[in-house]
Amino acid sequence: MTEPNPSAPLLSVRDLHVSFQTDDGLIEAVRGVSFDLARGETLGIVGESGSGKSVTNLALMGVIPTPPGRIDQGKANFDGHDLLAMSQSRLMAIRGRRIGMIFQDPMTALNPLMTIGQQLTEVTRRHLGLSPTAADRRAAEMLEMVGISSPGERLGDYPHEFSGGMRQRVMIAMALSCEPDILIADEPTTALDVTIQAQILELLAELQQRRGTSIILVTHDLGVVAGVCDRVLVMYAGRVVEQATVGDLFAAHRHPYTLGLLQSLPRLDRDQSTRLDAIAGQPPDMARIPSGCSFRPRCPVAMERCETDSPPLRELGPGHASACWHDDAAAAKRAAANADSPSEADR
Amino acid sequence: MRHLLGYAIRRFGWMLLTLWIVYTVSFVLMRSVPGNPFSSERTVPPAIERQLRARYNLDAPPIRQYFDYAIGIVTRGDLGWCLRLEDYSVNQVLAEGFPVSASLAIFGLVFAIALGIPAGVISAVRRGSLADLSMMTAAVLGIAVPNFVLASIVILLFVFMLPLFPAAGWGTLAQIVLPAFCLGAPVAAYIARLTRAGMLEVLSREHVRTAYAKGLSNRAVILKHVLPGAMLPVVSYLGPATAGVLTGSLVLEKIFAIPGMGSHFINAALQRDYTLAMGMVLTYTVLLFLMNSIVDISYAVIDPRVKLQ
Ligand SMILES: Nc1ncnc2c1ncn2[C@@H]1O[C@H](COP(=O)(O)OP(=O)(O)OP(=O)(O)O)[C@@H](O)[C@H]1O
Ligand SMILES: [Mg+2]
Repeated sequence: MTEPNPSAPLLSVRDLHVSFQTDDGLIEAVRGVSFDLARGETLGIVGESGSGKSVTNLALMGVIPTPPGRIDQGKANFDGHDLLAMSQSRLMAIRGRRIGMIFQDPMTALNPLMTIGQQLTEVTRRHLGLSPTAADRRAAEMLEMVGISSPGERLGDYPHEFSGGMRQRVMIAMALSCEPDILIADEPTTALDVTIQAQILELLAELQQRRGTSIILVTHDLGVVAGVCDRVLVMYAGRVVEQATVGDLFAAHRHPYTLGLLQSLPRLDRDQSTRLDAIAGQPPDMARIPSGCSFRPRCPVAMERCETDSPPLRELGPGHASACWHDDAAAAKRAAANADSPSEADR
Repeated sequence: MRHLLGYAIRRFGWMLLTLWIVYTVSFVLMRSVPGNPFSSERTVPPAIERQLRARYNLDAPPIRQYFDYAIGIVTRGDLGWCLRLEDYSVNQVLAEGFPVSASLAIFGLVFAIALGIPAGVISAVRRGSLADLSMMTAAVLGIAVPNFVLASIVILLFVFMLPLFPAAGWGTLAQIVLPAFCLGAPVAAYIARLTRAGMLEVLSREHVRTAYAKGLSNRAVILKHVLPGAMLPVVSYLGPATAGVLTGSLVLEKIFAIPGMGSHFINAALQRDYTLAMGMVLTYTVLLFLMNSIVDISYAVIDPRVKLQ
């Protein structure tokens, strides 16, 4: 949508590690994630359930539940300051004001005991210092913008009086009401039906164009990625296994896991998008991540080396990196050949 | 508001029905246990007993008594003469004793809420800290120690060793402190535990994460987004707590020589004072009904998903 500006990333995450102490043992949910987010860019994060997409973003917002969670390591440079090391009061000034977040589940992300109006005005009163009436006006404006009809009257309603899609719109209105520089949207459309999904994505794209907001969009849906993202991180078992522009992701992907994801993409003649579940085998038990390459047990092209050494994320070209020992030309060609014909492959 | 009016009308109807049932059951029970108001230590000559029975309408057939007494209550609000307290009407006894017992109960409850809720909140927010551990230990003790034992302890401590408060009597604020404390302590302990558990439960909900992500201060999140939800179990508990405080006060009034309903309650039952016992049973029924209605309304005010039934 807007061109990325690689010279001055707005957000720069380096070597983020997050773990949870559970009954099952220590879960390393995020194991060394690094990425940059440019101004006005939309960065997609894809990967199967449990790959650490949400945890990565929760860590950036400073809302990992502690205990059991812990940020073990990492930096997240936002506008010259490390989000992970700053004081609580500084972080408070950034959250909701400069970085807004839309949570994964709209049914539980709103406070059931407060009206939508109270929940919306809370943000603008705190960050923009609006008076109660100004905040109400602003809240109604925001609701109108996300397509909720007769917004003035709905301010007094409680979340249970809204449908899932409407709640998600309220969440979006809330996250955007202070016009943040970064919007983190964690599967903003997963809980919604297809038409509302489309409307909400359109809404995000429109807002982005109007305000130049950077967006981190977590999704299971590669169709969505193709439609709205500039760049994509593919995550597996707490790591980034491939990072590419949207064009490269579809045309020149290098990691076997990415290939698997693409092959599980619903075909064009079916208009339904389904969850990515077509790769053989299960995502690893995060308490017992396999040694070497964590994708190895499910990888169709695993070699001996993959059992012992964990492949680092290696730069393959501008804006393209992959974490696989197979990044020789032959593997690339094979992968490319497979990817070119996913829609004709099984008929 | 229309909800509320409908609710009040329905509740009132239920209360009348309940009162009628309570009246009937009490009436039957009191007359079916052996003995009567005049069969005590001193035997009354038969002639006098006849006279007494006539005066108190006890010579009428029971069904007659049942209706006559009920009609008196409904039309004149008259609960009749006490059978065992000379020259006292039940209304007089209630008018004198009930405000005393009720204020003691209210002080006890207010104290319990004022102590229990902050203690629970602090315990939950500083979970695992020394403050949490000591307050929750105190809460276990508060629940386990019977109030007459607690009363002996506080009298020993704050009347004899450290003479801050008078030992007994009624009328000044200083005299209310110790009995209200003893009355409220187990309730405070229970409220503290409910508050703590409720806070921890709400703290783990996702909307609290949203509140933090909005950049609200810790204080604002705790007070606005966590505390109200954590209060729901506490509010529910206030109905039973009121009953507990009312019965607890019967014992404490005895210990602290407080002229409330306590001694009357016991005497009325032991001496078969039909009218006084009935008056008190009906009064306490109304009181508990009112308290439970307040609880229901508060619950619905806090949680908009709840509809008043
Ligand atoms: N509060 C928590 N306590 C313990 N483990 C957690 C907690 N939150 C997340 N995890 C673990 O961290 C790992 C990554 O979870 P995360 O929510 O980031 O996955 P995800 O990629 O967002 O998946 P989904 O697509 O299902 O949302 C999972 O194994 C999960 O079990
Ligand atoms: Mg998630």
